[in-house]
Amino acid sequence: MSTPVFSVEGLWKVFGPKGDRVPGDPELTALEPAELRSRTGCTAAVRDVSFDVHKGEVFVVMGLSGSGKSTLVRCLTRLIEPTAGSIVIDGEDVRAMDKTRLRELRRHRAAMVFQHFGLLPHRTVIDNVAYGLEIQGLGKAERRARAQEVVAKVGLEGMEQRRPAQLSGGQRQRVGLARALAVDPEVLLFDEPFSALDPLIRRDMQEEVVRLHSEEGRTMVFITHDLSEALKLGDRIALMRDGRVVQLGTPEEIVSHPADDYVREFVRDVAREQVMTVRTAMRPGGCDGTEHPGALDPDEVVADAIKVVARSGRAACVVEDGRCLGVVDHERLLGVVAGTEPKKEAV
Amino acid sequence: MATVTASAPRVGLPGVLKHRAAQKLLLLALLAAVLVPLADARWASGSWPHALTVDVSKPLADASDWIIDNRDSHPLFLYFFGYISNAVVLCVRAVYLLLLAAGWAGVTAIGAVVAWRVAGVRLAVGTAAAFLACGLLGMWVPTMQTLALMVVAVLVSVLVGLVLGLAAGLSDRFHRALRPVLDTMQVLPAFAYLLPVVLIFGIGVPAAVLATVVYAAPPMARLTALGLRGADKEVLEAVESLGATAPQRLLTARIPLARKELLLGLNQTIMMALSMAVIASVIGAGGLGDRVYQALASVDVGAALEAGIPIVLLAVVLDRITAAAGERAGEAPGSRLAWLYAAVAAVVVALAGRLAGRLDWPDSWTVNLADPVNRAVDWMTAHLYSGVPVVGGTADWAGHFTTWVLDPVRSGLQWLPWWAVLLLVAALAWLIGTWRTALTAVLAMAGIGVLGVWKPSLDTLSQVLAAVAVTLVLGFATGIAAARSDRFERLLRPVLDVFQTMPQFVYLIPVVALFGVGRAPAVAAAVVYALPAVVRITTQGLRQVDPAALESARSLGASSTQQLRQVQLPLARPALLLALNQGVVLVLAVVIIGGLVGGGALGYDVVFGLAQGDLATGLVAGAAIVCLGLMLDRVTQPTQRRTKGGV
Repeated sequence: MSTPVFSVEGLWKVFGPKGDRVPGDPELTALEPAELRSRTGCTAAVRDVSFDVHKGEVFVVMGLSGSGKSTLVRCLTRLIEPTAGSIVIDGEDVRAMDKTRLRELRRHRAAMVFQHFGLLPHRTVIDNVAYGLEIQGLGKAERRARAQEVVAKVGLEGMEQRRPAQLSGGQRQRVGLARALAVDPEVLLFDEPFSALDPLIRRDMQEEVVRLHSEEGRTMVFITHDLSEALKLGDRIALMRDGRVVQLGTPEEIVSHPADDYVREFVRDVAREQVMTVRTAMRPGGCDGTEHPGALDPDEVVADAIKVVARSGRAACVVEDGRCLGVVDHERLLGVVAGTEPKKEAV
Repeated sequence: MATVTASAPRVGLPGVLKHRAAQKLLLLALLAAVLVPLADARWASGSWPHALTVDVSKPLADASDWIIDNRDSHPLFLYFFGYISNAVVLCVRAVYLLLLAAGWAGVTAIGAVVAWRVAGVRLAVGTAAAFLACGLLGMWVPTMQTLALMVVAVLVSVLVGLVLGLAAGLSDRFHRALRPVLDTMQVLPAFAYLLPVVLIFGIGVPAAVLATVVYAAPPMARLTALGLRGADKEVLEAVESLGATAPQRLLTARIPLARKELLLGLNQTIMMALSMAVIASVIGAGGLGDRVYQALASVDVGAALEAGIPIVLLAVVLDRITAAAGERAGEAPGSRLAWLYAAVAAVVVALAGRLAGRLDWPDSWTVNLADPVNRAVDWMTAHLYSGVPVVGGTADWAGHFTTWVLDPVRSGLQWLPWWAVLLLVAALAWLIGTWRTALTAVLAMAGIGVLGVWKPSLDTLSQVLAAVAVTLVLGFATGIAAARSDRFERLLRPVLDVFQTMPQFVYLIPVVALFGVGRAPAVAAAVVYALPAVVRITTQGLRQVDPAALESARSLGASSTQQLRQVQLPLARPALLLALNQGVVLVLAVVIIGGLVGGGALGYDVVFGLAQGDLATGLVAGAAIVCLGLMLDRVTQPTQRRTKGGV
């Protein structure tokens, strides 16, 4: 794994009177949220959260409303001031930054996309996209030119002179995305960007994000309350509940090995064959042959393997770099779909 | 103050007492049972006891004399007020000369061009027609005088309002401090502002402009603060997330986001300024208001109407133009080139007028409206005032109203022992609002007694009560009708729009024509002035009742009267209380001005004080008006004050 872009360690955000005494007090930190509120009048939105975000990955923070995920992402650039813990970006301590340094961070290194878009209604699309550059003090011609490129990239050509009120929800969020991309940030932060959109448009936008990520390989931190969105986009997922991270892992790990009953309940209805990979489903051990007709890649999902196996009518080999890792057959694949595959086989 | 909470079950407590209202009244009755015998024993008197008054007229007269003596010598006046006064005179004079230099053709063209660019062709034609009508009525010069005063007053008001509003929008502490002040200023009648400025600046243009500024700046401040505070939180967060500095945030996001409120503030400031600029004729504003004032003083309805029509036209045009600007705030701005062409066209017209030597409105082009109107009024006086078979006459109505309603209410109020009045005020205020509003109301009422104007204040109060009662009956009935019939509401809306834009002063003209002078016409003017707001708030309140609740009532088979009584009216209670509150405030404002047409009481004291140079009497009356306004507002103030639209 490469070096972390963001490294978060023991992060706390406590709202309420004298919230800063809570993280250091072992008696208080042990309390349940409701108890803490009745005892101190404080609400701990983020409780002792630690994770690393690696370069080029899509890191998803997932949780229901009130789980603290939106607060968490705002703490990363100190839009909300954290109460305790450390945040390090590229080795630099974010919490120790002074105003100028922090502004520099927000201007160039981390840009955010918001749930309700946060566009300026009195500006045209192009001026909204160029807004971040304007804030940085770029000249009009240059920022327009750069904004124009980004507008093309997110598929908004021809709409430059419209105003946000004249756009559909999906188009508005494209403007929000373009505005964040225009400043060419190291990390993109998404705060539930698609939850205000219709299901069909949401899927379009998710595919747009997948496309952008595969084209540019930009690091992304993505907040969502939608499990299928998390599974679709995330390289790794942090599942939050009541301000804590209850499980952190790849989509496959979370679906196949839920950390507790809460997560298990959460992932119960997931179409497992869409998440689990062949690597997990296969019976390990080579096939002893040198030819592997109809071989599968170990990172392919089970749903695709089912098609191959069903079409050929026999077991398929799983091959990585010309080496056969194992074999999947009807029985193993069905086991995944039914959720009865032997536990603790994933490596 | 400990109020018994209803949560704990109390054994043996009668059911009635579980109501909060009953508890409040019981507590008040206990309090009264202790205090009233004490008070009555010491100061037994129907009217406010003499022992409890403080004679402030002597020190006030001294202060007034001192100011008059030192106005030309004391450094405070020489180096501070003097400069302000001179600057105001200079500015108004400059604008006035500029308007005259542009000529009637130029001013009309400029007005039309601005209206065209801001609001479209229809309003441009309307604006031009309005200006020409002012000229036709022979009122060109007074119109320009009023306009000049308005321009200066509005500019200063907007500036002051913007600064205060910015501060209140950005600082929570300042906002907390400013809001109650603005709230209070909003409920005070315009007349209350006149005397303090006269005390310092004397009668004349500077006093008129400053009174106008004090009266017109609050809505700008309030709406600026509202706009800055109401900005979409996520937009501001997005702006911050991109690394904007505080000044960048203010200039590129907060102020543009508040544009709608700013323009609405400008609209309200202009309307308030016009209203006050006309009333300020009492303290030497000149212009249209002065013409109306002089004409009313000699009961010359025709002449009053000649000056009143331009006021109404000015009000409607200014309101529509600024309102249109506000509505278009979100849209793309028009091209600069069009503005340029428009400006050039206006300049050409002005120059043409100048070269043709037609700067002043030609005398031969005026229409004499006064004489036919006066003839009509004379005819009315002769035929409609009294003795019309069956219905009686307008003067008869006024007389009956005075004898059967106003007099009994007044003598009833004045007959009540002073402590009973205070108790009544406390009970009402507490029932509708909180103990805090009740306390303020009682203190304000007591303040009136202490000032020694108990009797005239109760006279004014009696007029207010009668007018409010009439207003509410008419207003609620009309409001309910409008809420139930779309067609009626469509018919009513333009009427309400026009009525709500007219300055208070103008309402005095028709009532004098109809009812002559006295207390009844003052009450009539107040009713007409307050009615549109009450109708509008009632209609809106009824229409905004949750449709789901109404639908469920209908699905249960409720008749339309049942729907109204059991669903709409109870759910619209906050709106109805607001309508009551607004009605009271607006009625008071006009009842006071009614002093100009024989309403007597406090309003007359102010006018008398101004006319006789007896500022002490006027100031005491002004202070009593403030107390009365505060009391009436607090008595009718619902627990949660809604943000008020309109005046």
